[in-house]
Amino acid sequence: MMPAPVGEQVTAHAVRIAAINPYISPRGLGMNAKKLHRALVVLFALFPVIGAGPTWAADDSIKIGVVGPRTGPAAATGKAFEEGFAVALDMVNAPGKGVLGKKLEVVFEDTAGDPEKAASGIEKLITRDKVALVVGESHSSAALAEIDVANRLKVPLIIAEAWHDDITAKGYKYVFRAGPSNSGVVNDSLMGFVKANGFKKVAIVAENTDWGLGIKKLAEEGLKAANIPFMTIVTERQSQDHYTELNKVKQFGPDLVLAFVYGFGLHYFIAQANETGLAPQTALVLDGAGPPSLWPDFWKNVGDAGNLELFVSSMNVDKPVTEVDKAFYEAYRKKFGQNPTDYKSRSLFNTVLLAADAINRAGSTDADKLVDALEKTNLTIASGVVKFDLTPGSYRYHQWQPPMLVVQWQDKKQVVVHPKDLATGELKKK
Amino acid sequence: MEVITANTKKPLTVVGIVVLALFAAFPLFLGQYWLHTAIVGLFYVMMASSWNLLAGYTGQVSFAHAAFAGVGAYTSGILAAKAGLPPLLGLPIGIAVAAVLGLALGSLCIRMGGIYLSLTTLGFSEILRIIVTNEYEITRGTMGLKTPPLFGEYSKTVSFYVLLAAALLILWLIRRILNSDLGASFRAVQNDETAAASLGIPVVRVRILAFVIAGAMAGFAGSLYGHYLMLITPHILSLDLMFLVLAMTVIGGMGTFIGPIVGALFLETLSEYIRVYGEYHILIFGLVALAVARFAPQGLVGLWRQFRSAV
Repeated sequence: MMPAPVGEQVTAHAVRIAAINPYISPRGLGMNAKKLHRALVVLFALFPVIGAGPTWAADDSIKIGVVGPRTGPAAATGKAFEEGFAVALDMVNAPGKGVLGKKLEVVFEDTAGDPEKAASGIEKLITRDKVALVVGESHSSAALAEIDVANRLKVPLIIAEAWHDDITAKGYKYVFRAGPSNSGVVNDSLMGFVKANGFKKVAIVAENTDWGLGIKKLAEEGLKAANIPFMTIVTERQSQDHYTELNKVKQFGPDLVLAFVYGFGLHYFIAQANETGLAPQTALVLDGAGPPSLWPDFWKNVGDAGNLELFVSSMNVDKPVTEVDKAFYEAYRKKFGQNPTDYKSRSLFNTVLLAADAINRAGSTDADKLVDALEKTNLTIASGVVKFDLTPGSYRYHQWQPPMLVVQWQDKKQVVVHPKDLATGELKKK
Repeated sequence: MEVITANTKKPLTVVGIVVLALFAAFPLFLGQYWLHTAIVGLFYVMMASSWNLLAGYTGQVSFAHAAFAGVGAYTSGILAAKAGLPPLLGLPIGIAVAAVLGLALGSLCIRMGGIYLSLTTLGFSEILRIIVTNEYEITRGTMGLKTPPLFGEYSKTVSFYVLLAAALLILWLIRRILNSDLGASFRAVQNDETAAASLGIPVVRVRILAFVIAGAMAGFAGSLYGHYLMLITPHILSLDLMFLVLAMTVIGGMGTFIGPIVGALFLETLSEYIRVYGEYHILIFGLVALAVARFAPQGLVGLWRQFRSAV
């Protein structure tokens, strides 16, 4: 940062200008350059010292990273993630347990759902916090940025709730997903629900994100194959005004609206759909993501318009899938005094269990050994028994898809309406 | 009036070389993460210094500086990602497009000053951000546009030296401009346009030129940054980033050559330390800015100068 030498000659032009204001030096900066150089030396000398930084890593613990939105439009997911790993850590670090005889520790990095923050966040976890493994994420665009970093830095990443097919379809060695994929949700759940309940005309409203556009395309393909007329509208993720889209949808006259909108935008969408006389008056709205329909502010924001709204979920508190599921609900109630509402707390809980299991079986935190251990996973978690698919060349590679449910709000009570074998009630259309 | 004599030149040169050597040796002893922080810090040094040239030396407080960085980044990034153009060829095109937009915006703001100029540039910046966010088929909007690294394989060390060389080039250019007739014209226009015009300074041309130069520099910085991150999102042309650049300049010392450098490195390092506080880190940032505004209105550089004169 060395300044250019200042010439000895001062131009007459500069002197003339300096005459306008005596405080301006025609030689340039009007400051003591020598002193400032000293300041710079101190700053630069301090930089590496600061860079060395304090380390908080305790020798008796093994750290894993969590990535997810603690701020931004889906900040509620960050809270669900915090709850999920808090319950998981209690179980993993219970007396006599732990990982490799040490305590498991979590470092949570906020990604705000922004790909740039996500990429720098996971890089920070790996290079600064030296985590053995990273879990989490619920935004596909953020996850697609994270997988490149994880694979480049060769640290395993287990995605919990980012659904875009490409996350696992890219075939990265260090990337796993113990959660739904767009293809899995559309083909295994949504299309089955649409066909089983005889919907005749469907409108798709999708946000302009990797998740929204990806699941929209798959839904279009599914509806086309099933010969069901449909229309599609793409909307801005953070939009609070959906009236224009809703009027177009109303003109089309569907009996089902697939809303692939994540965050509080969904609340505005449902409230405005009711105002325009669309839902639930003439059509049902199905929230294709799930958690926004379960967030604490949902009923406050949508009012009665939320009745009969549908959403996808992997969790049913009334019907635990496994013993671990039961243990999760009990531990959650004990810790937070109520049942979990956002199923993403359970998803994150699952990924922490998978991480701890992989570290224990690998017998070390070596990345390649962890990948090997993850590929041999055979673990019962809350959503079922996890075995990662190892067939390369599709989104199924390194993925395990939990069973997904379609749930309907009926008088503020959750009723599972699909699949039939797990249903707790009948679908209500009006 | 400050006069630097031949006697003071030699030690300053030595100090400069030592500082540069220390900085250049960072990859040898800094971990990957802090090297990343240093690279981001260098990007902000370029951004804050070039904005300071426009706002601190010509008095045109533009809020479109981050937008110019975004234009450079997206131009080069789209050409590389969609047309397969090598980043080294896309880089000058990104600079040129940013400079042309600087010319357009500078011309639009000729008769504006103060708050009107600021509001116009703020509007321009927001319009650009909304376009980039919504034209997702070209820019990929909030999903982020993936771009290739500047040179073949990704390397943090190479990126560090590229950004360091770029930052030095920008600082050298700024220093040369400030020490030239043009720099003196900048300050004259800032102090009194009428008096400057009476002395034969082409005020309009000087003001527009400042916009073009600062815009081109921001485009250069943004383009390099995009290829370093290998991902461009609308965040680069957001007001968040703009206000960060503004805070760096003001906290470091606006209207001084060293101020934006100190402010950029200080705030970038600080932000890495306080990011553990999640959403509260913005609050801490605000408190630091308030403390500086209250106790060191001339910025950190002014504080240092006060301290030195007291000692």
